[in-house]
This record gives sequence, C-alpha cells and structure tokens, in this order.
Amino acid sequence: MELLANLGIGFSAALDPTNLLYCFVGVLLGTLVGVLPGIGPTATIAMLLPITFSFEPVTALIMLAGIYYGAQYGGSTTAILINLPGESSSAVTAIDGYEMAKQGRAGPALATAALGSFFAGTVATLILAVAAPPLARAALNFGAPEYFSLIVLGLLASIALAHGSVLKALAMIVLGLLLGMVGQDIYTGTPRFTFGFFELYSGINFVSVAVGVFGVAEILRNLEHETTRDVLVKKVENLWLTKDDFKRIIAPVLRGTALGSVLGILPGGGHVLSSFASYSFEKRISKHPETFGKGAIEGVAGPESANNAGAQTSFIPMLTLGIPAHPVMALMIGAFIIQGITPGPNVINDEPILFWGIIVSMWVGNLMLVLLNLPLIGLWVKLLTIPYKVLFPAIIAFACIGCYSINLNVFDVYAIVVFGFIGYLLVKLGCEPAPLLLGFVLGPLLEEHLRRAMIISRGDPMIFVERPISAVLLAFAVAAVVVAVLPSVRRKREEVFVEDD
Amino acid sequence: MKKLTTALLAAAAMTSVSAGIAFAQADYPTSPVTIVVPFAAGGPTDTVTRLIAEPMSAELGQQVIVQNVAGAGGTLAGTQVANAPADGYQILMHHIGMSTAPTLYPDLAYNPLEDFEMIGLVTNVPMTVIARKDFEPNTFEELVTYVQENADSVTYANAGIGAASHLCGLLFMSAIDTQVTTVPYQGTGPAMTDLLGGQVDFMCDQTTNTTGQITSGEVKGYAVTTPERLDALPDLPTTAEAGLEEFQVGVWHGLYAPAGTPPEVIEKLTAALQTALQDENVITRFAELGTRPVSLEEATPEAHEAYLSEQIDLWAPIIEAAGEMAQQ
Amino acid sequence: MGNQKSFNDIASGLIFIGIGIAFGYAASGYQIGTALRMGPGYFPLVLAGLMCILGIAIVVKGMARDAQPSEFGIVPWRGMVLLLGAIAFFGFTIRGLGLVPSLFVALLMASLASRRNTLASALVLATSITALCVAIFIYGLSVPIALFGPWLPL
Repeated sequence: MELLANLGIGFSAALDPTNLLYCFVGVLLGTLVGVLPGIGPTATIAMLLPITFSFEPVTALIMLAGIYYGAQYGGSTTAILINLPGESSSAVTAIDGYEMAKQGRAGPALATAALGSFFAGTVATLILAVAAPPLARAALNFGAPEYFSLIVLGLLASIALAHGSVLKALAMIVLGLLLGMVGQDIYTGTPRFTFGFFELYSGINFVSVAVGVFGVAEILRNLEHETTRDVLVKKVENLWLTKDDFKRIIAPVLRGTALGSVLGILPGGGHVLSSFASYSFEKRISKHPETFGKGAIEGVAGPESANNAGAQTSFIPMLTLGIPAHPVMALMIGAFIIQGITPGPNVINDEPILFWGIIVSMWVGNLMLVLLNLPLIGLWVKLLTIPYKVLFPAIIAFACIGCYSINLNVFDVYAIVVFGFIGYLLVKLGCEPAPLLLGFVLGPLLEEHLRRAMIISRGDPMIFVERPISAVLLAFAVAAVVVAVLPSVRRKREEVFVEDD
Repeated sequence: MKKLTTALLAAAAMTSVSAGIAFAQADYPTSPVTIVVPFAAGGPTDTVTRLIAEPMSAELGQQVIVQNVAGAGGTLAGTQVANAPADGYQILMHHIGMSTAPTLYPDLAYNPLEDFEMIGLVTNVPMTVIARKDFEPNTFEELVTYVQENADSVTYANAGIGAASHLCGLLFMSAIDTQVTTVPYQGTGPAMTDLLGGQVDFMCDQTTNTTGQITSGEVKGYAVTTPERLDALPDLPTTAEAGLEEFQVGVWHGLYAPAGTPPEVIEKLTAALQTALQDENVITRFAELGTRPVSLEEATPEAHEAYLSEQIDLWAPIIEAAGEMAQQ
Repeated sequence: MGNQKSFNDIASGLIFIGIGIAFGYAASGYQIGTALRMGPGYFPLVLAGLMCILGIAIVVKGMARDAQPSEFGIVPWRGMVLLLGAIAFFGFTIRGLGLVPSLFVALLMASLASRRNTLASALVLATSITALCVAIFIYGLSVPIALFGPWLPL
C-alpha cells in the first residue's frame, strides 16, 4: 500500500502541467538528438544542464531524464532506416532493422522498436518503483572479477552476432578490442597507439567508428551496383505489424525486457551489453537462426526492448546509491548536486516528491514517446522513397556534422574516413562489422576490470573461479562457445560420413 | 588616455604574433568564455565550477560554458588549455592535481608555473577518510593501527592517478609510514561503488563525494583532514585530534589562463571570480558541500601563484618517495 | 570447386595478421609489467598475439581443400575517392572555412560520387542540404560551429 501512496506522490508531481511540459520537451529533444547521428544524450544534457539551473529540481531532472531515454528511442530510427547507428545499442538494431527496411518492412521494424521500447520502459519503471533499493544493493556484489567474467561471456556469446564465419567474427571482436586500447592508459596515463597525436589521447570516438563501418561502408556498397540496379526498395509493403509479426515479437520483447532490466542495474557498465546480449540470446534459441541478419523481426524486438529496459534500470544505482553507471548518469548526479540535493541513499526519504516524481515521469515520458513515434513512422518511411542519390549526401552531411560537434575534434571526422575504408574492405572480405563494434565498446572495460581484479587478488588468476558469481558467468561463457562450435563439428562429421558412404 | 593605450597596444601588436588578441581585449569578453574542467561532469570539481560559472557569467556579461575534458589525472585538460590561444576565452579550473602533475608525470607537456597565468584560488574542499561499512576498525586511531598491522591485505581505492583521493592516500601512507595495495578507478563514482559493495577496504575523498554516504551510514567515516571539524559532519574528529597532525590535506581549486593572456583580461577574470565567491547562492551551496569560498585576498593571481609553487615543493618528495610516477 | 582456395579468407587473414603485428610491435614499446600490476603494454600485447593466431587460422582455413569459393566483386573507385575525400575535406576545412563553405564543397564531392548525379543536380543537392543542416544544427540545436571561418576574408 505504501507503494500506491508513493506512486500517488509521483503522479501528482509528474502530472503537474509544468513538469508534463518539460517532460515532453525532454523526450522530444531526446528523440531528435537520438535520430541525428553524433549528437547524443550526453552532449545534449551537458549543453542543457546550465539552463536547468533556474528550474525546480524535479522539473530539471524530469527533463534531463526525458532526453536520455528519448535518445535511446530515437537512436534506433536512423539505424533501421539508413544503417547509421548513433550509439552502441542501436548498432545491433541496425543488423536486422536495416535489412527489414531494405525488404520494404521499415514500418513494422520501427513499430516493433517503438512498441518493444514502450513495453520494456513500462516494466523497467515498475521494477524501479517496486524494488530499487534492494536491487541496487544486490548489484554491489559485482566487483571487478564479476564484471570481467560478464564481459567475457558477452564477447563469446556475441559470436552469434555474425551470420558468417565464426573465426572471422572472433577476429573482428579482437580487432575491436585492440582499437579500444587506443588512447591514454587509465592506470598509468601512458598514451597508447596515439602516434603522438594529442587528439587521440582520449581514444577513438565510438560514433566515428560506428558511422564509418556501418554507414559509410554501406553507402560504398550501394555505389557498387548503382548502374545496374536501384538501391533500396520503392515498394513499402505495410506500415504496421501483421498478426504474425505480433506473435513473433511477444517472446523476444519479454526476454529482452528481462535481460535488459537485470543488466541495467549493474553500475559498472552492464547496460552496454544489454542489446548485444539480447540479440545473441534470441538468435541462439531461435528455430530459424539463419534468418537473423537477413531481416528477422525478433532481432529488432529483443535488443530494442533490452536496450530501453537497461536504460531505465540504469537509474537505479544513481537514484538509490548516488553512483553513476555511465556518463549520462554522472551528468544527472551533477544536476542533483547543482540543485542542492546530495545524491545518495537519502534521496528516497528526504526528497520523496523528487524521487517518485522522476520515476512516474519516466512512465509518462515513455507513453509520450510511443504516442509521438507511432504517427511519425509513416513520415520516416516516406523518407525512404527519396532517391538514394539524394539521400546519401544528406547522410554524409549529418554524419560529418554530428561527429564533429561531439567534441569539436576534427580527428573524429578523419576517423570516419579511416573506418569507412576499413569497414568497406573487411565487409567485402566477408567480415561483419557488429562484432568489431562490440569489441570496441567492451575493450577498455575488459582491460580495466581484468587489471583491477588482478590487483585485488594480488596476481592470483584463481579469483575468477573462486568467486561464485564470476565462476558461474565463466561457465556460461564456456558453454556458449561449446554450443557455437558443436553444430559445425557435427555437420562436419555428417559430411565426412556422407563422403565415405 | 584610452586612445593612447590603444595606440600603444596596436604598436605592440604589430611586433608580436598576438595581433588579433590585442585588439580584442579592450572589450573582452565579446563571446562566451569556456572553463575547461579536467574531470568528468557531475564530479566535485565540475560542481564547484558550475556553481561559480553562473555568477561569473553575470559579471562578465557573457555566457560561461563549462567543458569537461577528463583523462589522465587532469593533464589532458591542462595540456589543452596550455596550448589554447591566450585570449581569455578558454580558461582552466584545476585542483591540487596542478601541483602534483609535474612530479607524477615526468613527461608532462606543460609547466604549471610557466605555461599559465593564475587568476585566483577558489575554494579548499576538506577530505574525509572512509571505509566500507563492515571494515573492522571503528575509530581513526584503530584504523591507523589496523592498516599498519595488516599492510599486505588492506586495499586502498583511489579515483585514478593524480586524483585527490590518490594524493590523500599517498600522504596518509607517508604519515603512517606504511604502504598498502592501491586500486585505481576511473573517477570517484566507480571507486565509491566498490567501497559500498565491500570490494575494497578504505579510501579518502572530498566531502562533496562522501557526506551523503557517511550520514546515511552506507560507509564508515573516520576523520576529516582539516584543522577544524566541519559543520556538515560534526561527529567526525579531525586527523589532528586523532593524533596524526601531519596528515592534513585539502583539495584546493584555482582558475588558470594560458600564459601570455593580457593582464587586462586576467584582471577582468579575477574580478568576476571574486564577485562569484561573494555570491550568496555560491556560499550556501559550498557550505552544503562542506566547503567555503577562499578569502578575497586568496582569490588573486599573486596568492594563487605563491600557493601553487609552495604546493609543488610540498608534494614532490612525497610522490617521489612513493615511487608512484606514471611511466611514460 | 573442391580445390579452390578462398581469396577472401586468405586476404582477410593476412590483414588481421598485419594488424596484429603492428599493434604487437607498438605495444612491446610500453611497459609490460607483471600479472599483479599489469603495465600499459600487457593487455594489448596479449590481444595482438590473439589477433595473429586468429589471422593465421583464417588463412589456413582459406587454403584448406573445402574452402568456400568467393569473389571480391567490383570496387566503385571513383565513388570511394570522392566520398571519402568529401569527408576528409570537411574535417580539414571545417575550422578554417566554417560550416557553410566546407559543407557545401564536401556535399558537392559526395553527390558526384554517384554516377546518377550530374553537376547540376549535385549543385542543387549541395545547396539545399547545406541550408537544411544550417537550419537544424546551427539554428535548431545551437551547435557551436562558425558559419564562416577565419580563413575567409569576411
């Protein structure tokens, strides 16, 4: 009953006309910056932080939160329509979402993303309301060894991201990990692989890599055959999901929501794994894994739900313990402090209106997002009827300005050129870009946690199997590899058998 | 008079490379001023900066933008501002790390005293010694004994090379003459996460990061590193009360402009800083964070420069003794 | 077909080996450290080794008897040079020329990367997309980029 009373407090705060307005402003702005590649929620929130000085704390935080989950929502749109993921999470959506768009099913793909996200957002908000403090406390059991094992599991399970050669997928992951090493070593400050360029000290920009290997490489592929065939489909079959589509997305949405909610709670960067993990999982358990990478709607539904659920639950460590799970949450903490509220375990008791207001506003914001985005689908799909020769220069323009505006660093623009070329070359050689991106995102985390675990254990690698959570995760990782290798081994044996026959 | 000054400046400009700057400085600032913060948004240094940015912007008549350039214990931002045009449009907020960087990073790309013009000190944030909730010692005295007796099993968390928590740890270890295993993190947030989760034993960090967790009992607070007790944490003894006078440290903050910034511009920035430090809201908010603005005499280029060189000399032997220099 | 070697596998394998060696060489210049206190070179060196091993495995597989036949396909050289050149030009001139001239020229080059665009249609595209971007990024989102840069005598 206390929950109902609390939610009552929250609703009265969230439904206050001013807060409602700024919640809308937040999600609208978030959707906008999410759709535009480059300018992500971090930059937007950092830019808008000073403006929120003059707001009431609850209004300010409702708007900033809206920008964050709104951007998660919008990020999938460009990934689906033009293969241009703006964030690590939407890189996964691009795999099957863009394939669906090419088959004229951009409408259902976008609708799936919107509905999946809304469902996941609702569930994750409920989790936040019901069990935030105990969950945050449980998540603290994750130390460096556990994170290391979790990332290893994530990396090995993600071999499923590729639909071609397993060996090449592994090689692309390792290449991504290596690229993630570029920049200053966080433990000693030593610059690595920077060739003396000061601009590379903070590492290669993720958006540049993503835009290069996905967006630019795809444009180059499309330019190959432009004399013989037109790129993209002119015929758009339908805008909405069919009955069969609905049936296919229900289970992936549920699983994605569960997976994303759990990973999002981990304050050490679990949320970045959520969409990758969901995709791998869906492909693994699918009866038709061969359809993944060729426009499987499950490959959009699962990751999109997981991503949004993770985004939502990543508020849990911030709201209940005052610790940030990622840069956006760090900015939110900054917003708290600037508003004169010390983030930490006291917020829930000292500032109930703020705490519950933010939580309820998340649900309200998600509702707004779905209402805002569903009618937009028609408009977005129309975008695809623009001739490609007009569309692709615009994509290039958005990508260039977007990447440059993140840090006003021209190296981020040059990186698009380099990764566009490398991406194109490798794609032509049968290597897929998604595993590379995953490795790139997780590389620095993997190294950080490995080194920290070794310091804590005083150089004893047994720490990874002695700690129960870590051991279980590693066991899963081994199982993932075995399951991935077994079918091909069996197939080989069958082939040999046939030849002998 | 003004005409004469302008003429002289124009003449000077012709013989110098800073032509554009000299003409621009009379009506400085004509466009937004950026304060570069060498640490992530939402951290204590960022908060201090954002709090003073608002009143400074009112005084300067231009928007003051806060830009976060985190990395490498703040030296990334330091290098950026040292190489920025000396026109007062890009200035640096840095803390105690400015005085330790020359020793921590033998290959540092700048010299704190030579490559910057000081604008003034801002505040001196007290630090607290804290530990995970279930850590055995209950008082600061017990902590000292416990650490000395269990030096090879105790772990100390810090927020990365050059961070305030790193320096505080060095000073503590030097004061009690014991070395413990140090676990570096990327910022205070992750370090605090592991402290709350009991993955590491103890740390020392600014009140801005620890007050909430100490008062709620999520972590054990042992002592404050200031000469007097704090209003925000009246139950915590000072390190001196607990018998370790030589262990006193505060995270002092200062504002810097690139070397060669015209004195007129520095004057305007110092004036804006002083206005900000007298702002009611700034004083209240600083108090909530467990700190207060420095006196107006300290918020001057002269006091700032003297303090910086004094601090450089203080830290160099401690860091060298610990052998904690970054390998470049 | 059984004896055909896979060009794609061998080429990509060799690229991976090359990358592995390059990273490994660079990493060996950094402090390696011990397992307890890993230096900045430790982890990259391990990864570079792994990269080489995977590269060799891919080459070996490509040489194997039952390799999948494959073809590299055609490369749109003109498109690639113009497109990548356009992005590089934008990066090179954005600070000096400012958004409008830099983006306009970059868009002109990018549009001409497609053989379906004529010079006339490229001019129209460059003008209209530049205008659109100025509206969205400069006026809409107030991104701090100058419209015209210091290289221009304005």
